[in-house]
Amino acid sequence: MPRKQPTEEELERRKIVGVNAETVTDVTSTDFPGNWPGEDYAWDIKKIIRDTKIEFHQNEPAEASFSLIGVDASIANAFRRIMIADIPTIAIEKVFIDNNTSVIQDEVLAHRLGLIPFTGGREGLDNFMRWLPKPKDNEPIESTYFDYNTISLELRVTCTHNPNAAEDEKDPRKLYNHAHVYAKDIVFMPVGRQVKYFAGENAIRPVNPDILIAKLRPGQQIDLSMIMHKGVGSDHAKFSPVATASYRLLPTITILRPILGRDAENFAKCFPQGVIRLEKVTKAEAAREGSGYEGHASELKAVVVNPMLDTVSRECLRHDEFKEKVKLGRERDHFIFNIESTGQWESDAIFLASIAHLKEKARKLEQQVVDMVR
Amino acid sequence: MSREQYQIPTGSQQTFTGGAGNTAATTSREFDTGIMYYTCGDCAARVPLEKGAGIRCQKCGARVLYKERTKRMVQFEAR
Amino acid sequence: MAKSKSRTEAPQDASEDVVMQELPTSHQPDVQDDASMAEVDAEDDAEVEDEEEIEDDTQRVRLLPGSTPTAASFEFLNEGHTLGNALRYIIMKNPDVEFCAYAIPHPSEPKMNVRIQTYEGTTAIEALQKGLKDLQDVCDVVSDKFVAAQKDFKKKSISS
Repeated sequence: MPRKQPTEEELERRKIVGVNAETVTDVTSTDFPGNWPGEDYAWDIKKIIRDTKIEFHQNEPAEASFSLIGVDASIANAFRRIMIADIPTIAIEKVFIDNNTSVIQDEVLAHRLGLIPFTGGREGLDNFMRWLPKPKDNEPIESTYFDYNTISLELRVTCTHNPNAAEDEKDPRKLYNHAHVYAKDIVFMPVGRQVKYFAGENAIRPVNPDILIAKLRPGQQIDLSMIMHKGVGSDHAKFSPVATASYRLLPTITILRPILGRDAENFAKCFPQGVIRLEKVTKAEAAREGSGYEGHASELKAVVVNPMLDTVSRECLRHDEFKEKVKLGRERDHFIFNIESTGQWESDAIFLASIAHLKEKARKLEQQVVDMVR
Repeated sequence: MSREQYQIPTGSQQTFTGGAGNTAATTSREFDTGIMYYTCGDCAARVPLEKGAGIRCQKCGARVLYKERTKRMVQFEAR
Repeated sequence: MAKSKSRTEAPQDASEDVVMQELPTSHQPDVQDDASMAEVDAEDDAEVEDEEEIEDDTQRVRLLPGSTPTAASFEFLNEGHTLGNALRYIIMKNPDVEFCAYAIPHPSEPKMNVRIQTYEGTTAIEALQKGLKDLQDVCDVVSDKFVAAQKDFKKKSISS
């Protein structure tokens, strides 16, 4: 069959997911060999290199946002899933409570401690810290605890009256010492080579020192030690390096026929600020026949300026005056990622780690397939 | 202390040095005398009570006393 | 013991009952003392590397029975939608592949199955290998583009 190349418009049309008032259309990708008669959609790494684009919108340690353009949803989704469930972090895993006379129950306290995000020197976390291996049969779990897989922490706080407090003081934080127990009260106990890797500013510490763990009253005491291990989000959410890692498809708003005057103002109100701008119809436009602007010179018209800000609320589809005048959609291969880090990793490094993880997964399995055939 | 050395403390035992956590204020003497300590529900004082004694805080006279927490270390999974 | 009494009424299945080993009522493992962790320097790293290798050795891909050279099903252990869907997409991009699909037969089993049917001239195993290779290539492309975009963005935000 002779090869044929579809027009640009046709390609553009194919990658739009239609968004109607009650339904969505063209959800699945069709870029497979044999799907479109005579067209070549075979795997071609050159095409991938040419079409794949990344544009950053924001890149801060705690939050990154960028567009990944030109890859299939299955690949983008693999990265997202890996970021949430497969990138390792350290978190508190076991809590040894010597004393806890606070009103918060032991198991609740232990659970709260587990969820506190910690950070430390990257070199130590990446290259020095390893997985905790499973103990051999009949051996206690502690037999596998070493300085390269276990981190010790302590939390020892007693609440007392503050003799220097003012007579009429009502604030318990001033009236008592240690009325509130915060994450910053947790003490890192380095062991072995941890002294070297987690020294000074590289110390293992809570990302947010002001996380409230418990409230105490005079005479109450929390006295416990903890250990941390490396783990992954698929085991427990406390190990996930991200608060959120999500993507959405870039919205498209196509104005099919001019929206003018009062309608234009109402149209702009259907979208978040900055999506639609009102512009004056120029004389040239009004003079052009068949443009729909004839006789409307210097009236206001609605123009789409930044569809990325749209939330796709579909509000504009509920009003009769915009019927047949607007088409909403989303671009199937434009993923706007948003990654919020919990603090142990830099947000952009999490995405890079997810790419490396997927590659390593594929490499290992490739070897496994070779072994399987042998 | 090794596991073999460790014995569950009883009242008749002469030398008890505490469980895994040695942080509690209780000393071995307290066990010898047959006096149990309780915590006052009102003023949080440690109240020693002998067998048969009236249940009452010596400091504030409150009649609600709580049992003290175990001296042993308790282990939890942070999950 | 009340327990043994009720057992006499229950159907006799000795083999199940005997091995019940009772744990000491309260044995809290000691907090590992610093000494056990400090002695690591002497403990050679080789031991850990050995264990990692052992993990690597376990065969996680299996050819399911009933396969022919051009039509085969593979079973992946400890893989899920993350790899399954990405791999399915990449294999479907291969023009020599007639059909490719993946499934997770049961959510409580850590297994993922991939079915590949190819046209004559290649085999399902080759298609799978090509798929895994192509997947690594995409990762490289995305990784390179990402690092470049990071640098661009940094430059732009410094200059502005």
